[in-house]
Amino acid sequence: MSGKNERNVLRSILASLISILIGMGMGSLVILIVGLCSKNLTLKSTWEGIRLIALGVFSTGRNAAGELTFGFNPASMGNMLFRATPIILTGLSVGIAFKSGLFNIGAAGQYLAGTCATLFIALSIPSKIVPAWLIWLLAFLGGMAAGALWGAIPGMLKAFLNINEVLACIMSNWIAANVVTWLFDISNLKNIVESTKSGYIYKTTFNGIATPKLGLDKLFPGSQVNGGILIAILLAVLMYILISRTTLGYELKACGANRYAARYAGIKDRRNMVLSMAIAGAMAGAAGSLYYLSGNTEFYWSTYQILPAAGFNGIPVALLASNNPIGIIFTGMFMSTLSISGLQLTNLTAYNEYITDVIISVIVYLSAFSLVIRMWLGGRRKKAAQIGKEDE
Amino acid sequence: MEGAPPYVIEMLHITKEFPGVRANDDITLQLKHGEIHALLGENGAGKSTLMSVLFGLYKPEAGEIRKDGKTVRINDPNDATALHIGMVHQHFKLIEVFSVLDNIILGAEDTKLGFLQKKDARKKVQALSERYGLKVDLDAKVEDITVGMQQRVEILKMLYRENEVLIFDEPTAVLTPQEIGELMHIMRGLTREGKSILFISHKLNEIMEVADRVTVLRKGKHIGTVHTKETTKTELSRMMVGRPVQMVVDKEPADAGDDVLTVKDVSVPSRLYKRDAVSKVNFSVRAGEILCIAGIDGNGQTELIHALTGLERPSCGHISLCGIDITSASIRQRSLKGMSHIPEDRHKHGLVLDFTLEQNLVLQRYYEPRFRNGIFIRFDEVRSYANALIRQYDVRSGQGPITPVRSMSGGNQQKTIIAREIDRDLPLIVAVQPTRGLDVGAIEYIHGQLVAQRDAGKAILLVSLELDEVMNLSDRILVMYGGEIVGQFDPAQVSTEELGLYMAGAKRQKEEAWRV
Repeated sequence: MSGKNERNVLRSILASLISILIGMGMGSLVILIVGLCSKNLTLKSTWEGIRLIALGVFSTGRNAAGELTFGFNPASMGNMLFRATPIILTGLSVGIAFKSGLFNIGAAGQYLAGTCATLFIALSIPSKIVPAWLIWLLAFLGGMAAGALWGAIPGMLKAFLNINEVLACIMSNWIAANVVTWLFDISNLKNIVESTKSGYIYKTTFNGIATPKLGLDKLFPGSQVNGGILIAILLAVLMYILISRTTLGYELKACGANRYAARYAGIKDRRNMVLSMAIAGAMAGAAGSLYYLSGNTEFYWSTYQILPAAGFNGIPVALLASNNPIGIIFTGMFMSTLSISGLQLTNLTAYNEYITDVIISVIVYLSAFSLVIRMWLGGRRKKAAQIGKEDE
Repeated sequence: MEGAPPYVIEMLHITKEFPGVRANDDITLQLKHGEIHALLGENGAGKSTLMSVLFGLYKPEAGEIRKDGKTVRINDPNDATALHIGMVHQHFKLIEVFSVLDNIILGAEDTKLGFLQKKDARKKVQALSERYGLKVDLDAKVEDITVGMQQRVEILKMLYRENEVLIFDEPTAVLTPQEIGELMHIMRGLTREGKSILFISHKLNEIMEVADRVTVLRKGKHIGTVHTKETTKTELSRMMVGRPVQMVVDKEPADAGDDVLTVKDVSVPSRLYKRDAVSKVNFSVRAGEILCIAGIDGNGQTELIHALTGLERPSCGHISLCGIDITSASIRQRSLKGMSHIPEDRHKHGLVLDFTLEQNLVLQRYYEPRFRNGIFIRFDEVRSYANALIRQYDVRSGQGPITPVRSMSGGNQQKTIIAREIDRDLPLIVAVQPTRGLDVGAIEYIHGQLVAQRDAGKAILLVSLELDEVMNLSDRILVMYGGEIVGQFDPAQVSTEELGLYMAGAKRQKEEAWRV
């Protein structure tokens, strides 16, 4: 009862790789066109740009002759893992909801709810009295709980009032953005120590709270990486076990694949809908929580006009992985690899940072393509199966 | 028509292959002018493929098609239309919110300077409707007319396009016995006017009654073409299935025991209208009997079953199962207290199509201690249980327990549900149209299983729209009309015609006559 057979899994992986390749190709094309149109860019620098898009995470700068050099770059690698942490988690959030037939586009709001709860807990409990590890734990669990609660609301609206979860999620995103802004506005957590900055909340390190590095800083010196990535991977494995090994996972998938049949079989489809959204919210909450518990990131509290991108990046991450939690670990890392590539592109060539955003969005856009490619790969076989049951 | 070739359509030595399957293997079908030619075969025999070839939807690997003796190439449905070949589909292709007239002319509208010429069209349709005795209300919306009239609209659509070859795909599946009689009459009238009819069916009674000749297909092969006058139903079914088929269910008289399910004054509100779909229904099902609820589709059977099985709430009344009140019990509780349910819509309720066969086989019992270890599913147990059921109930599939159910044939999908529900070994089995859309072999099997369960002392509540099935299988018949039970019958002492009158609402028994 492993769900999919191996051929299906292979096909999914192949489809994702193909769409990534097409995305990379399109990105290179954009680089080429920009390069050809710009007076500042020679053909050589265009070629450098294309190489950086593909191998940016391995870029080690330029040598004395001004040529690009590649190799193991611990700082880029570590930063890649650091940036992957929240999007793996929001990817899990979207993926888990998808498995039970719900489109969680509210990961951004759940991420904010998690961020807010985590920062309040981490900065309000005095670390002189309570041990730092306990505050960290409370802040992390609090973030997950806040995300879960925020996710459960659209789940309940869907289950009991049959309100489309996409609409409810979008609304809940903006409600979260405004509520969080207001809560921080009236709080005393605004960073007034570093007077050059305005609009930021204290880093959690101000209260001595930070996710332990767990030796990863030794492995990847000079990077921001911390134990958060291990927690994200652990959660992905837990989600995989939940979905594919437990009775609850079986119920969630049944609800997702056929709500009516699930109800017919006595499965509480409404309860499962709420539960699924709560689990999804907890993952997105954990994403926000871990990102800010790193201690080296600061939260810009005036969020009422912008939603965190990590929330939406979870969608392509989940799509590319066909909602498989283990796959999400890799697609999450792939997405953060791209953003590292973007950084290197900005640092090492005349391309500016906006071009990297264009390329990333092309690839994100094409991630939806993986579904089409998978159908195309499965097309022939499906047609044959169709014949087998003709006359129906 | 002297000198004209005897055949209007000839499909000669048609072979159509799909990867791994030879769906049509050297099939020859010749349709004479003015005849009704039946195409008989089980599901998957290749009937649809053959018709799709005729309509240009598939290109055959070998063979040729002739119209009036001349070889023609049919590359797409437009070519078929140009050759005046038309089809009445099993599921009507009508736009519900359009009027009958608009539906008939849709796609073949006469226009002058871009304006519709409905007046001419109306005259033409009226003339056709009189000539062939096809009574329709041209201005009514399709959603408001009966299924029988919708079918007449479909036929008029073909006539309006001046089709000469008419293909009827399982046309009687949705009709009442009276409407079927009417359709047969219309079909004969059409041939008298020179039309030729291909009649796809697996109902032997109708074929024997209306067709001149029958071509039988089995597993993609042409088994034979015979005159109906020179054959028998038994012979036809043997040709179709490839072995002798039990036409009548072999069963002993019922030995009914105690009431297992009791229904008292149950009403169920309608989802669409502001009235009750089921009003004040009373009956009980006893151990060791098959009680059948007969009736035309849409007379409250679905709502009644939903209320009994917990998918909907009754607005009043009481339901008890084995002496325990289950009126407001959850679906799971009903299931635990002894109700298994073979649902009406196997794709909507009965199966999770994207799940594998084994996942579907444990849909009603995955939570039992046997199949789990704490919160974890015991995959080994599920696999061995699924394999046992697959063997015992002969469920056929491409990859055994890990086959996606979506890729299985309808008959095997239904067998999956039957295996799952019967194997739970519960005192009550609610079976709603358990053989809908299945072929003779599968029907025979499912009927046999239900009778075996009855003989094992189970109470069986059967809902069926097929009168043959009702007469064959039941020990007691209740007829539902307009949300009420209008009569109770002993199948041995009632004719199908008599039942038909009750089903159509023309007659009803006094309630005291049968109320327990």
